[in-house]
Amino acid sequence: MPTWSTMTRSRSSLVVTSTTVRGLINLAVTLAVLLTVTFALSRLAPIDPALARVGDHASRSAYLQARQELALDAPWPVQLTRYFGRLVHGDLGVSLSTGLPVAQDLQRVWPSTAELATLAMAVSSILGLGLALIAVRRVGRTSDMLIRFVSLLGNSIPIFWLALIMLFVFYARLQWVGGPGRLDDAYEYTIPMPTRVVLIDAWRSGAPGAFASALSHLVLPVLMLAAYAIGNITRLARAALLQEMHREYVTMARAKGAGELRVLVHHVLPNAGGVILTVLALTYASLLEGAVLIETVFARPGLGRYLTTALFAGDTPAILGATLLIGVCFVVLNGLTDLVVRLMDPRTR
Amino acid sequence: MCSLATLAVVLHFAPAQARSPPDVLVVVQNLDDIQSLDPAEGFELSSVQAFTSLYQRLVQSDPADAGALRPSLASRWERGPDQRSLVFELRAGARFASGNPVRPEDVIFSLARAVKLNRAPVFILNELGWRAENVDRQFNKLDERHLEVRWSADVGVPLALSILSAPVASIIDAKQAEAHISHSDAGNAWLREHSGGSGPFQIRKYIAHEALVLDANPICPGGVPRLRTVILRNVADAAVRRLLLEVGDADVARDLGPDQLAALARKDHLKILRFPSASVHYLLFNAANGVDPVLANPALWQAARWLIDYQELATKLLKGTYEVHQAFLADGFPGALEVTPFHLDVSKARQILEQGGLGQGTHFELDIFNQPPFGEIAQSLQASFARAGIRIDIRPQLASEVYARIRARSEEAAWLYWIPDYFDANSTASAFALNREDGVATLAWRAGWHIPALSAQTEAARAEPDPAKRREMYREIQAEVQRDSPLVIALQERSLLAMRDNVQGYRQGVNADMVYYDQVTK
Repeated sequence: MPTWSTMTRSRSSLVVTSTTVRGLINLAVTLAVLLTVTFALSRLAPIDPALARVGDHASRSAYLQARQELALDAPWPVQLTRYFGRLVHGDLGVSLSTGLPVAQDLQRVWPSTAELATLAMAVSSILGLGLALIAVRRVGRTSDMLIRFVSLLGNSIPIFWLALIMLFVFYARLQWVGGPGRLDDAYEYTIPMPTRVVLIDAWRSGAPGAFASALSHLVLPVLMLAAYAIGNITRLARAALLQEMHREYVTMARAKGAGELRVLVHHVLPNAGGVILTVLALTYASLLEGAVLIETVFARPGLGRYLTTALFAGDTPAILGATLLIGVCFVVLNGLTDLVVRLMDPRTR
Repeated sequence: MCSLATLAVVLHFAPAQARSPPDVLVVVQNLDDIQSLDPAEGFELSSVQAFTSLYQRLVQSDPADAGALRPSLASRWERGPDQRSLVFELRAGARFASGNPVRPEDVIFSLARAVKLNRAPVFILNELGWRAENVDRQFNKLDERHLEVRWSADVGVPLALSILSAPVASIIDAKQAEAHISHSDAGNAWLREHSGGSGPFQIRKYIAHEALVLDANPICPGGVPRLRTVILRNVADAAVRRLLLEVGDADVARDLGPDQLAALARKDHLKILRFPSASVHYLLFNAANGVDPVLANPALWQAARWLIDYQELATKLLKGTYEVHQAFLADGFPGALEVTPFHLDVSKARQILEQGGLGQGTHFELDIFNQPPFGEIAQSLQASFARAGIRIDIRPQLASEVYARIRARSEEAAWLYWIPDYFDANSTASAFALNREDGVATLAWRAGWHIPALSAQTEAARAEPDPAKRREMYREIQAEVQRDSPLVIALQERSLLAMRDNVQGYRQGVNADMVYYDQVTK
């Protein structure tokens, strides 16, 4: 006769299996639709990729050769089918704007984006959740209103402008932090960068001062990106926590003599955990898309800038490759969140 | 903000090495345009600027006098008796950065390779009549230092030499390129990211959209550069380029806006250098295909010449980054016409329009690029043309969209700029003053301007062997285009750079490729 713990384990494993299978189907369908729509849109855009490649002065012969090499003469469904055919072999094509394989380009820009997004996520999660807890604890008071105002400000100030102001003050005037770029010039193109994650590479290089330089150059972009994310996390987490605060189990806990802090941390937070986790996952996914403005102002390589440059150049292989990567991030993060929420909260199974 | 302050305090005590190293020149600019660093393929501004540092050609413009061609990898040359060939003697002891000697085989390989690859800049070599099927027959190795170069097109020796001085005619180390051939690509994939030349620098590292790092070539036949390294950093935002220069993390900043340059000009330790640029801006009316009969009316073309507020555009709106110029050859090109007969004169324009039967209600759409300074220029035109009763509807678009519409001749009018492809009057004249009515997309053809006589003049100038006579012919052709055509030339760009005042020896010529870092010190 199965014991209670065996039944719980088997139920958990069933949840994991069903979520994984559903996630994989979801991933395949989402990516196929995403790529088809992106491909169609890139073909509908009034940009001639062959012209973007050879330029306006090129001879007709060079232009026609470019069209042929890019297979632009075939109808777009045929082009898409060929793309899918190559994709299943892991071939993402060659970028028109860099002349390099898209997979190689993505390997170059993605670690930088992931590093920046992860650090910004860590900062914004801690600060955002902390502020949300304070706001709920002191709901309706001055500190609550101040937190709501600041979180709205984080969302509404143009990040491009704010980043430039921060650079001007803390880099150009006070010279407290590193400026645009990932490292000082003394290290930037001299230390090996095998992982393309600058903190790891700078640490492993052993060059004196390289790690501090990397950290110094990360401070502003991480905080600027986090400022935007903190606004989202604080507002949504506060709302989720406040909703739970009005439930009957909270009244019961209070009636049993639990203090406000205990009610908040031990009763409310776990019950709002599903919503908060979803908010965090969606925020992280959006940060992983690449923050084009932050990457532009801080002259850092990243997925956002790569995709934007590709869009302006009508670089379809690069657009599709970057879209695919972003799509995978979204679907995988959503799937993982779904799984964790289901494991955490029996009501969602 | 508290966390920022805390972190800043912590990092304030970290060892900082923020200024650019002493033997390294750090240049901040926009490098997003680079598609390829193979000279047979790269045709973007940043690529072309880099080729002068990476490769040498048989002959090149003198940095001190762009109009004079000087020997580079060739030590001298002689005209063939038929005026359709040249015999080059290669510089004794010249070696590529790889250490391989420069041989006639390398010259033949490089020129034939560029023609056979058939990429964007190949049309320059096509001017000589070279095609993939005949190019191998145009060269003859005479001995280990001499080779003969022939061409079949009706092109005089001066133009042939100019074409051979273009970046697409850069000489590549054949042995190195052949060692990196992949899928019969003549080394193209490898040369997109690496260099195989004999120029003063060689590529240490190229990271697309990030940086191009050049190291000095210690055996450069033209002399060893004075700095160890040049780092060209991609900084897409002009305001950030300015900050990097002010702090000292960059030594040179390119592509700054007029306001940024004005602010930097007042700073200590910084200086602004001004160079004429070969880029000319012009208004094109499309008289082709019967798009609109008004656009084909010469009265509109004439009136437009008196409806542009040239001075206000150059001095107030564009703050000295452009100057008034009304002929297709930029100042600095041999034979450039420097007269500027037109100015804003609304009453004269009204009179011309009335005589041409164009009254109130005349209007056209103006295609422009959706980036500075085209919006400002278009608004100025809109205001000044409105004073003569002409309405302009502005259509800002992506550059590739504008070019696609112009190639299809579906636009009504456009404000565009022209940059010569190589340093010779023919590059520009064959765009503005040549329309063989054969569909070859010259600017005159795109404008639907029928000019059999002027086209014949342009072709004759191309074949003229006497440089002085040739210059005179181009002056006449420019005067004709300036006087009466659907191509209204208005401005010439100035290239302005901001740099730290300890940077010395930087040279730049009028053409896009004439950027020289080899004599720079700091």
